[in-house]
Amino acid sequence: MNKSFNLNRRKFLISSFAAGGAMVIGTHAMAATIEGLPAGVPTPAGATEFTPWLTIGADDIVTVRATAVDIGNGTLTQIASYIMEELNPAWDNIKVEYANTNRDYKEGNVYSTPGGALGYFSGRSTGPARMDTYLQVAASARARLIGAAAEAWGVPAAEIAIKDGVLSHASGKSAKFSEMVEAASKVSFAEEPKPKDRSEWTWLQKKAPAKIQIPHIVNGSAIYGVDVKVPDMVYAAMMQSPVMGGKLKSYDAEKVKDMPGVLAVVTVEPGENVPTDLKPPFPFGVNPAQHAVAVIAEHYWQARMALDALPIEWDDGPGAQWKSTQQMVDAALAAVEKPGEKVEVSNGDVEAVFKDAGKIVEANYHTPYCDQTPIEPLNGTALVTPDRVDFWHPSQHSQEAFYVAAHETGVAPENVYFHQTFVGGGFGRRVFSDDARMVVAVAKKYPGKPVHLIWSREEMTRQGRYRPMMAAKLKAALGDDGLPTALLGRMSGGPGFFAVGMPETALTAVTPNAQIESQTVPFHILTGPYRGPGYNSNAFFVETFVDELAEAAGEDPLDYRLRLYGKFADKGWVKVLEEVKAKSGWGEALPKGQGRGVAVANWGMDGKTPSGTTVATVAKVDIAQDGTLKVLQLDVAFDTGRILNEDAVRVELEGGTIFGLNMSMMEGLNVEDGRIVEGNFDEYPMLRMEDMPKINIHFGGLSDDNRYFEIGEPPAGVVGPAVGNAIYAAIGKRVRSTPFRLHDLTWS
Amino acid sequence: MSVTLTINGKPTEVDADPQTPLLWVLRDHLGMTGTKFGCGIAQCGACTVHLDGEATRSCQVPLEVAVGSEITTIEGLSPDSSHPLQKAWIEMNVPQCGYCQAGMLMAASSLLAAIPEPTDEDIDQYVSNICRCGTYPRVRAAIHKAAAEMKA
Repeated sequence: MNKSFNLNRRKFLISSFAAGGAMVIGTHAMAATIEGLPAGVPTPAGATEFTPWLTIGADDIVTVRATAVDIGNGTLTQIASYIMEELNPAWDNIKVEYANTNRDYKEGNVYSTPGGALGYFSGRSTGPARMDTYLQVAASARARLIGAAAEAWGVPAAEIAIKDGVLSHASGKSAKFSEMVEAASKVSFAEEPKPKDRSEWTWLQKKAPAKIQIPHIVNGSAIYGVDVKVPDMVYAAMMQSPVMGGKLKSYDAEKVKDMPGVLAVVTVEPGENVPTDLKPPFPFGVNPAQHAVAVIAEHYWQARMALDALPIEWDDGPGAQWKSTQQMVDAALAAVEKPGEKVEVSNGDVEAVFKDAGKIVEANYHTPYCDQTPIEPLNGTALVTPDRVDFWHPSQHSQEAFYVAAHETGVAPENVYFHQTFVGGGFGRRVFSDDARMVVAVAKKYPGKPVHLIWSREEMTRQGRYRPMMAAKLKAALGDDGLPTALLGRMSGGPGFFAVGMPETALTAVTPNAQIESQTVPFHILTGPYRGPGYNSNAFFVETFVDELAEAAGEDPLDYRLRLYGKFADKGWVKVLEEVKAKSGWGEALPKGQGRGVAVANWGMDGKTPSGTTVATVAKVDIAQDGTLKVLQLDVAFDTGRILNEDAVRVELEGGTIFGLNMSMMEGLNVEDGRIVEGNFDEYPMLRMEDMPKINIHFGGLSDDNRYFEIGEPPAGVVGPAVGNAIYAAIGKRVRSTPFRLHDLTWS
Repeated sequence: MSVTLTINGKPTEVDADPQTPLLWVLRDHLGMTGTKFGCGIAQCGACTVHLDGEATRSCQVPLEVAVGSEITTIEGLSPDSSHPLQKAWIEMNVPQCGYCQAGMLMAASSLLAAIPEPTDEDIDQYVSNICRCGTYPRVRAAIHKAAAEMKA
């Protein structure tokens, strides 16, 4: 049984009209994915489709379809690399386009599994099922081309080679793909040919091509969601209830209707959707609309001006009970003083050990709401008519956005066309598709015209689906050897917080008695995925706490971790620690006010070992006596098992590390009378070029275990605790909450 | 109000309210979407263009102020992506999502015009754009590389 999705033999039957090109969708590069508006991409003639995943054109262009949206993580380049490995066309002749969600629906989920995780039109391209899929479709196409050439030339298939898009034989015969493609479409096999063994790879793991879309980025031609232009398009600016869950009380459209360019004022209410049989992709569910009012105008700036001038009154609702950030932090911290309502892990008898323990270490921690803050503001363009929807949007999950467009309008899914654009940053913000929902909800109030809705930065920051506020209590008893004999971990957060990063950690696994609990606090603030959900807070709690254990044991914190995690079944943990120990200058003397700290954590552990990606980071910081904190250097080692593109991995480690550094140093949203306070970068500051430490990425931690796990999220969790632990090493002050910029780090 | 702007060397007619930010004139009225909207308050730098060669955040420049200046946008940085910075950007795999990169390139090209061999401190000062993906180390390295190529 092939575990790749929908790769049964049926899918390899070539369409009877394939040679006429009737079933082919486009052969253009990335920038062209939104060409042919609004009806979709034009159909070129004379191309042959091998499966819905792969088409070879009369022009020798090999078009491959991507389900994983590229949010800057290089999925498109990786997919092109799979095709290169198995099919070996000319690299420049590979075009990647997004798989069409409408086609997926109409043709029985040719790209997905309905409602299942394999239908994930998002995420990375190196997942095992995806990788197998692309290698298989390319191997199948290759074998058919060779089969066709073998018959045409009267030679054994085994004697035919493929290189740079040319089939050749020792006799001197050669042909381009395009010359064999029609005959190839008639070749059939009782069983699909197997892709190469890893030992025969010549491209994967060997080459590190830069992202294929960069030429479109550096000249400004890449079309992001916010850049979409459709004939007759109008613009919209929107305000949602400033207190989440609040309602629109009143507004006075008369006051703005005569302003330049204003066309309409419309409202959005939750529950104006139409029931549909279409199921949302697992596990994202239904994200309801929020109460909102929007101004529609000929130009965007006119819409913004009119919205600013529009008198609006809101009924704040129950969320207004949360008067201040401190009140919420106190509630989260109070929650971890009580036994959790949900027991995540219960091994042995923690309380019995605590009773007799010689040494107990206990501490409470908390982390704030943080916004993903992609630099492209939330936006989308929708044309809603009674019997058809076209929707252009920078989605992180095109299938969810497709679902939302059908669900919000009630238009039959076969008549819903979703057009994926470039995405100006994701980080989890564009997965749930609450933004997609609002675009369609506004557009359907102005039907028959394409409506381009763009959030202001302030609206976007205050209407997030945030990294949840979380608090934790950690308590451990230390044995005679200084290692924990019992561990109690309690987490709390608002509804929907992610427990990931404490129950399944190595610390929990290696401690003989462990009890991990969680508790939900009834906050109204909406939350969502943010680079490394749950893990990004829990890694800070756990790895700061482990540093406190090392301190209590009187041992160097890196050596303590080597001993502690040396007991864990996944040997990658020790390997990455040894790598950063050797490469970071660990242990070398530093001047007063400077210190090094270490942290190690794993994102993606699934209970088996080895699994996920383990990252160890050593931070070197400098703290001036006035408390000014400067991170000087970060040394990062990792274990994803194996890697496929060295530079793609390096770039994600750099980016994920900087993201986690920003999160820990800078980010934290405040709540006042139920509203999010911060709106723009003057209030929610970001690290810039001048704040960058030297970042060294080390490859010596790789275990060569048979997995190619993801790399974008893992580094985000460890950099914060590494810096926090370095602060302690430098000035002896333990920081148990983020962002660090709010702590008094003065010393004398 | 109908006015004539000089954009990428060409006179360009536009009819918009004189207070409309240049950013929205470029993007919305003229369809030049390479210049990006990020924050609207001159913080992030995604909207950076050159006004008479100087890197300027176009979200804070009203249309009437831009009249009479030579405006250069990412579309006009080079005719064929041949600016040494554009080449270095491709070669060094600099962008991730890419959204802030037009602004980065415009800030960096203005820097190199003013200071052909910038130090790290010069780069810190001139290129204060926000990148959420964390491309800063590569942006810095690519500026140095382009500077070296321009000198050669």
